[in-house]
Amino acid sequence: MLMLEIPTGRGGSVASESQVRRRRWTRINTDIEGYLFIAPAVLLIGTFGFFPVFFTVFVSMHKWRIRRGHLLGLENFQELFGGLHLLAIIVAAGVGIFVGWRLLRNRLGALHSAPAAARTIGALMLLGSLAALAWGLPQVWETGDDDMMQALRVTVWYSLGTVPVQLALGLLLAVLLDQRFGGRQLFRVVYLLPYIVPAVAAAAVFERLFSLRPESFANQVLLLFRLEPLQWLTEVQGVFSMLFGWGNGNGGVVAEYWQTWAQGPSLALVSIMFFNYWVFTGYYALIYSNGLAQIPRQLYEAAEVDGASKLRVFFQIVIPLLSPTTFFLTILGVIGTFKAFNHIYVLRSAAARGAADPMSVYIFFTFFRRSRFGYAAALSLVLFAIVLVLTLVQRRIMEKRVFYGE
Amino acid sequence: MASEHLNHRASRQRRRRLSRVLLYTVLIGGAFIAIVPFLYMIANALKTYGETVSRVSAIPFDPRFWPKVPQWSNFAVVIREENMGLFFVNSVVISVVTVAGVVLTSAPSAYAFAKLRFPGRDTIFAVLLATLMIPETVLLIPNFLIVSRFGWIDTLAGLTVPFFASAFYIFLLRQFFSQIPNAIVESARIDGNTHFGILVGIVMPLSRAPLFTLAFLAFNGAWNALQWPLVVTQTPTWRPITVGLTKYITEAGPQTQLRMAGALIALVPTVLVYLVAQKQITEAIANTGMKG
Repeated sequence: MLMLEIPTGRGGSVASESQVRRRRWTRINTDIEGYLFIAPAVLLIGTFGFFPVFFTVFVSMHKWRIRRGHLLGLENFQELFGGLHLLAIIVAAGVGIFVGWRLLRNRLGALHSAPAAARTIGALMLLGSLAALAWGLPQVWETGDDDMMQALRVTVWYSLGTVPVQLALGLLLAVLLDQRFGGRQLFRVVYLLPYIVPAVAAAAVFERLFSLRPESFANQVLLLFRLEPLQWLTEVQGVFSMLFGWGNGNGGVVAEYWQTWAQGPSLALVSIMFFNYWVFTGYYALIYSNGLAQIPRQLYEAAEVDGASKLRVFFQIVIPLLSPTTFFLTILGVIGTFKAFNHIYVLRSAAARGAADPMSVYIFFTFFRRSRFGYAAALSLVLFAIVLVLTLVQRRIMEKRVFYGE
Repeated sequence: MASEHLNHRASRQRRRRLSRVLLYTVLIGGAFIAIVPFLYMIANALKTYGETVSRVSAIPFDPRFWPKVPQWSNFAVVIREENMGLFFVNSVVISVVTVAGVVLTSAPSAYAFAKLRFPGRDTIFAVLLATLMIPETVLLIPNFLIVSRFGWIDTLAGLTVPFFASAFYIFLLRQFFSQIPNAIVESARIDGNTHFGILVGIVMPLSRAPLFTLAFLAFNGAWNALQWPLVVTQTPTWRPITVGLTKYITEAGPQTQLRMAGALIALVPTVLVYLVAQKQITEAIANTGMKG
């Protein structure tokens, strides 16, 4: 790339050959300097953070038990899904839901001119895809890896059970701490303490708090209320099944699969959720406090002048203005549940038979205990795909709802 | 009219006091919930095994919640016989080395991305950021194979080198470095300084706050790591305390008091640092959204 002319002090404006060559040499020099500065980081991230993804794909296509076996192609994935056709159906159903939804809301440009037709096609696609999923997932459970399906179900319950509760509790706490009163800082320090503490140490305590022994803390609390002790972290039964008796019927594959959902998260998983609430409420409150602090006082005063009640102010001003924070925390929370490992590894027990093992733990055991590297690699790719889709979907949904103020 | 006004004000004051009492009750209740597990940990770390089974209560005000005589020897047992002392030292070394590595690789990179210009700079940065989306589990198996091949299993290198560089730390520092006016850099250049000299002599001293955040996050991240060290340490030589404690819980018998003693040892440094530097740590967490 030739350099532009630079006027010299003498009034001439043509760069001499040697000047051009010198500038080009300096340019190359600064380029090299830049590359040298980033080299160690890029090398490390490339080796341990980027290249491994491709290596995972490679491993997933082989039979690999500690040492590399023979090439399997997509056989690991076939075993996972009980047949690649089922994987295809599920992916197609996912696409169908997406396209159908957009058609229904008339946001796909192509059929803008025929809104009624677009909406009917959209509705049909949506219903058809949902039906395909309702049928397809049980098939994967039946013919594919039912442990994986359980792990996915556990992960979904884990997300559903922790994120909304933590958002609500965190927001409530942040609002309370926003009031003016003495000792605020002390309360903040105390509430953040569970988050600061290493998860393994805290989980070690909770493992004892929620152990099935009658002398465990949780059972002692039940005793205070004259209730029978529970098995807590080792209880396989779902809470909906325990409380309401849901999901205990019989039927074909499809019915039985959806019954496993109706039973709800296992008590073991719910115990782990309690740990989550304890750890993260203070943290969510901290992030929300920051968001609250950014709401200008004039808005509150203006609302008060207009005669709005505190509740209305909360729901119609505070919550919309906090939507970027909620967005951030939701994404963090859901992705977090898919990546969670440390505390779950400590809290889980073999007695729970996988009822409290989300995907990350299932993949870990497949890799580390059963040494099925290839299969575990395939599982981790499935996890990766799900996390990617979730991030995109959440970004889509939340971006529409997030209100960035004026 | 005046008396009505006074009544109104009195009732409003009463309402405010009531809501204040309610506020304090709820907050103290919540704080109590936050603290109880710690009380349980301390109480049980000092009990005998028999006491952890028979002398129990759910209420910290009940004397049965606490030991009759504190068994400080539990700590000695756990440190000497269960190797918790060794694991603790390992964790310290691993965390400190990781922090050093992180600063040494992230500072120059962040500086280059913020202040230098070279072809492909923005693309490379974008690709680095993209790596943040990859879940740790996906990297676990290949990294294990790579680290095995390097012969780094059960070594300090295997536990630290893969974590020396993370796009997140580079992003953090770059954010800050970009705010340093280019004029400062340029005038230093004109004075004949190299970029490296500028980085070390001017930029770093100005970056004490983000560097503290970086150090805290990297230290905590290394201290709390479980999945990777679990896989990479097969003997107790370099085992960090997270793995030591976890193995003790999952493999040894249910000696509650020893477990709690081990857990206390594992959380001491973090809590100490937190109590001393609360403000900076709280800011670090609030600004970055994470603790490590």
